[in-house]
Amino acid sequence: MNINELAGDPLLFYTVATVVTVVLTMALMTVLRLPGSWVPMRTWFVILPVALGAMWLGHGAWTVFVTVVSIVAFKEFARVTGLYRQTLFVLVVYGAIIAENLFALVGRYDFFMAVPTWAVLALALVPIVLRRSENMLQWFALAIVGVVFYGYFLAHLSYLYGSPLGLGYLLFVVLMTQLNDALQYFYGKAVGRHRWTPISPNKTVEGSLLAGATIIVLTFLQAPIAFPHVPPQGVLVAGLIIAIGGQIGDLTMANVKRNAGVKDFGAILPGHGGLTDRLNSLMVTAPAFAHIMGYLYGGFPA
Amino acid sequence: MRRRFRYEPFPDLDLPLAARLGQYPRQPDLFLDVARVLARTIAASLFRLQYRLEVVGAPPNMPRVAIMANHQSHLDTLAILTALPEQYRRRVTVLAARDYFFEHACSAMAANLFGQAVAFDRCTELGELRRWAKLLPNIDAGWFLIYPSGSRKRIEPHSGLAGILARSGWAVLPVALAGTAEAWPVGHKVWRPFRTVRVTFGDPITNADEHDLPAELLAFWRTHGRLDSAERGENE
Repeated sequence: MNINELAGDPLLFYTVATVVTVVLTMALMTVLRLPGSWVPMRTWFVILPVALGAMWLGHGAWTVFVTVVSIVAFKEFARVTGLYRQTLFVLVVYGAIIAENLFALVGRYDFFMAVPTWAVLALALVPIVLRRSENMLQWFALAIVGVVFYGYFLAHLSYLYGSPLGLGYLLFVVLMTQLNDALQYFYGKAVGRHRWTPISPNKTVEGSLLAGATIIVLTFLQAPIAFPHVPPQGVLVAGLIIAIGGQIGDLTMANVKRNAGVKDFGAILPGHGGLTDRLNSLMVTAPAFAHIMGYLYGGFPA
Repeated sequence: MRRRFRYEPFPDLDLPLAARLGQYPRQPDLFLDVARVLARTIAASLFRLQYRLEVVGAPPNMPRVAIMANHQSHLDTLAILTALPEQYRRRVTVLAARDYFFEHACSAMAANLFGQAVAFDRCTELGELRRWAKLLPNIDAGWFLIYPSGSRKRIEPHSGLAGILARSGWAVLPVALAGTAEAWPVGHKVWRPFRTVRVTFGDPITNADEHDLPAELLAFWRTHGRLDSAERGENE
């Protein structure tokens, strides 16, 4: 295997890069006694092979993976807010998640864009069918959040896989968003002093800025492999989408947690919390990246 | 007066999967509810394929019933659930030892799905009994399956949880199992198929707190909890 082979195959490149990054991080944590626990690291050992394995298996496997993850993550959101007790609303959101991913798999962009509209209309029918009004507006609103964030936004990950140039986009957005989260945590622990938002008290100015700067540098380094057709100003835009979009997604879901009075969305990922705690940044970066980069430089949706 | 909207997070958000599966009352879960229907249908079908099941008597149509059975094998719960018509089977919650079934997610999932089990903590028995004593009088409808002997290795019933159920006004349904001890003996790693299993439903005891429940259960089990000699010969 030489560097040209790696450069021509984003999946191979990112798989190797991921393994190298994990091994280096472990070595650094051991040698330098960096802050942070081994528990989240061990969880990464499970998440990364499963996610990359699904990508290696092909578009169908990846779509099934995204669908299952979206459904489980939405279940967490519904359990945190109490929406899960409203079965009919929940079933409509599940249907929307499955439909979005199905249309992403077959590449029907028209239906992919139409599903949220139909889902919201179906949700509007729920109080009418149930003949109930008390608190229905609130449950309706929460279910719309479910359709948009867990159905529409996350299904962009399925759609990107099948788009021309999509695999480079997909791998970049998934891995850089996760790295951005991890870097914020590490930098925040190491040098963070100034908190910048009460919504997420662990976020520090230093952690966010340093993570953003690192992501932009890394974006320039991998641009020839992830999106070789994009000019330098576009590469900067890509880095900024990850750095800023990740924060927006994180804070949006942190807001849900603060309102519901819980610390994490669940306990399925030891050291991370729930799946939503891991996916919140991607919920914003994936659609933002796909549409902005697609509009400016092509490759999404077709 | 309209009730103000409040977020209502589920109380088990932080619990690991095994603990969530063992909790009672169960929290709503669409996946588990569907999976439980599928699992108990599969389990009952497999049981009927492998064993000749004889059912004596019939369960009563009552809202609150505590099934109290003799315990001699891992197959006991499956035998009783298979013997019950679906309309009753779906109501049943089985109390199973937390230390045996609910320490790990896989065994907890199997117990919860195939056996409809929730956890009973034998290690903190007094505290656990107090918890159930508070809970049981407030439950309007449901069927519990318990094994008052507490173990497959003894037959004499404890009065602990059985007594609490009786005092809480639950109708007690004595059930005697015969043949399961040979079908999957204690200490054996695998079950032995193609044998006869008999489930006998007794008459429900509605004012159970006025009865000597342990003695009556023991007498019922001793009378009906053994196969006759011909059936035993087939089971050998």
